[in-house]
Amino acid sequence: MSENRTLFRETVEKILADTLDQNRIEATEKRELPAQLYASLTEAGVPWMLVPEDKGGIGADIGDAVALLRAMGAAAAPGPIAETLLANAMLAAAGLDPMEGIVTLAFADPGATILHDVPWGGICNHVLIAGQNCIRLTAAAAWKVTEGVDIAGEPRDTLTGGEPGVVAPLETTGWFRTAAILRAGQILGAIEWCLDRSIDFAGERKQFGREISKFQVIQQMLAELAGHTLASAGITEAAAESPSEMLVAAARSRLGDASDAAITISHQVHGAIGFSKEYALNHRTRRLMAWRDDFDSVQTWRRKLAGGFLDCTRDSFWPTLADAGSNGALPKEI
Amino acid sequence: MPATALHLDLPDLPEAAETLRRDVRAFVAEERRSGNLPPPDRIGLGFDVGTTKRIAAKGWIGLTWPERYGGGDRTALERYVMNEELLAAALPVGAHWVADRQSGPVLLKFGSEEQKMFFLPKIAAGDCYFCIGMSEPESGSDLASLKARADKVEGGWRINGRKIWTTNAHRVHYMIALVRTSTVEGTRHAGLSQLIVDLTAPGVSISPIISMAGEHDFNEVLLEDVFVPDEALIGLEGNGWNQVSAELAYERSGPERWLSSFRLIAELIDVLRPGAPPSSLEELGRLLSQLMSLRQLSMSVASMIQRGLSPNLEASIVKDLGTKFEQEAVRVVRNIVASEFLVESGGNPRLKRLLTHAQVYAPAFTIRGGTNEILRGIIARGIGLR
Repeated sequence: MSENRTLFRETVEKILADTLDQNRIEATEKRELPAQLYASLTEAGVPWMLVPEDKGGIGADIGDAVALLRAMGAAAAPGPIAETLLANAMLAAAGLDPMEGIVTLAFADPGATILHDVPWGGICNHVLIAGQNCIRLTAAAAWKVTEGVDIAGEPRDTLTGGEPGVVAPLETTGWFRTAAILRAGQILGAIEWCLDRSIDFAGERKQFGREISKFQVIQQMLAELAGHTLASAGITEAAAESPSEMLVAAARSRLGDASDAAITISHQVHGAIGFSKEYALNHRTRRLMAWRDDFDSVQTWRRKLAGGFLDCTRDSFWPTLADAGSNGALPKEI
Repeated sequence: MPATALHLDLPDLPEAAETLRRDVRAFVAEERRSGNLPPPDRIGLGFDVGTTKRIAAKGWIGLTWPERYGGGDRTALERYVMNEELLAAALPVGAHWVADRQSGPVLLKFGSEEQKMFFLPKIAAGDCYFCIGMSEPESGSDLASLKARADKVEGGWRINGRKIWTTNAHRVHYMIALVRTSTVEGTRHAGLSQLIVDLTAPGVSISPIISMAGEHDFNEVLLEDVFVPDEALIGLEGNGWNQVSAELAYERSGPERWLSSFRLIAELIDVLRPGAPPSSLEELGRLLSQLMSLRQLSMSVASMIQRGLSPNLEASIVKDLGTKFEQEAVRVVRNIVASEFLVESGGNPRLKRLLTHAQVYAPAFTIRGGTNEILRGIIARGIGLR
């Protein structure tokens, strides 16, 4: 792990601790973006962290962004920060200027006049539409907003109308993978929080005269969740370091299983207490439900992953898998 | 990382490891060409002295041991890479497997100089094989309750007891037996010792246990007044439990804990073609993502061992997840084979035979080397629950 990465992570953890609390997380369900959090992130340069230094950014790598978003996911930090920092990187890659303010992102037909389920579509400053071979930057104000929400209660709006905006050529296949691995960082962070909180809770909560952590059945459940957490952390870190289609697909698929386990097990350990809206667990588990299938569903990533091996013979299967896993090379474009 | 005790250390594989990988692949290709691979209709580590001798000739047994004991002085990561390549190709490495993975490292860590000089070069040459003498008829998961004992006699120890589920006892040379040598008030873990037993010694009788897969790998080993000399004691008298615990990180994290079903997946991939229905691809993709994740974890543990850490928690997680994956793979392949009629009317006989064998073999995955329930107890302790 780079020295910078530790610094990024510590910086964002401090910002989260200073600016985000339960009320501010819940306010997002009334379409309020946590202003202080975003002001501090902006001050720290997070929206431009993936923009090269010579274009005014920080020049961090994807692994750095994933590490930072992991902390954001653990804190259930609301809003389109992953979208904003990725959109700015795409703008810079296409030779355009990164934007001030919130940029949301939609992978869609570049000429689209209707965009579905756009994160914070009605609240951001800019909307970047990423087609296969070009991107189109539009002002958010040019779109008519029909409000919608995701499972966590954060805005996912339908936008209609739009404006021609600024169009620039960019091959976006790789950027879509990047979007998927950035979201993976948030998912992983939320899973890790669920594990940690459940371990702590099991040590605090007493029933039958002793902490429930003393019961083997609870130990077995949390050991299982620890396994899911470590396994998905390993493949996510590997994919963040070399975001090949294959490793990203494997990470998103593995995180799908781990999300399901985190939701089921952490709620079961918490009992009725975890089911109340007041308790912080639902902020993470509902986000896991919302994020799990973003930037292609878990099932889609699984089909892509399996499809990448179908040309293999019994003897070429292992070398294909081992080589792609260690250096990120693709068996074929999937 | 979160506050929990889980640690990752994903390595960049050194160039030496990638070079070794190419060498091992070339060796595997030659073995395949020469018809030395076991029949393609069974899983499990085959036992073949010829294969072991050819691997030894390459210098690949005891790869991480010091050169003065016949080892290769290489890194744990290189050993990891070699093993995953050999296992993925299903080479029959069973003869030297236990000695290379476990018995040798225990001798290296706790053995006397004489023991190291005597055994390690023989193991590295592919001439000396070991088995593990831990389980007993009345001591399975509760290992510390074992009853085999060794009494001190002039010049050595006299062992009496019964060891069971002893893989390959009928075709290896030595067993490292965990036996009680003394009783310490208030603790069962003290007073156990590790002794090297020559399996040709008087008083040793070995009888086969045929597995439900119809194979003779297991044995029951009866020890009746078996004399072993003082030099057979490994490490300190009474310290056996600690020594055995140190062994377990090697035993739990290697690729053999998640590659047992690999051949079956490879056979399925061989016959699946583009156009397979989405539901099958989704099941297969899920399986592949588990496999790729386990590989990262296994490398991470090898990397931590290389750095001198004791990743017992992470190693236990690899074995728990890995062996469950091995069973899951059998279930998934069976379901895809059924839903796509891949073995109907005599189709794909090789896949059909392998799947049959894998199904009857699969229950062993989550039992051998310590049940998953015991492992999860260890994991629970590691994350602070016990």
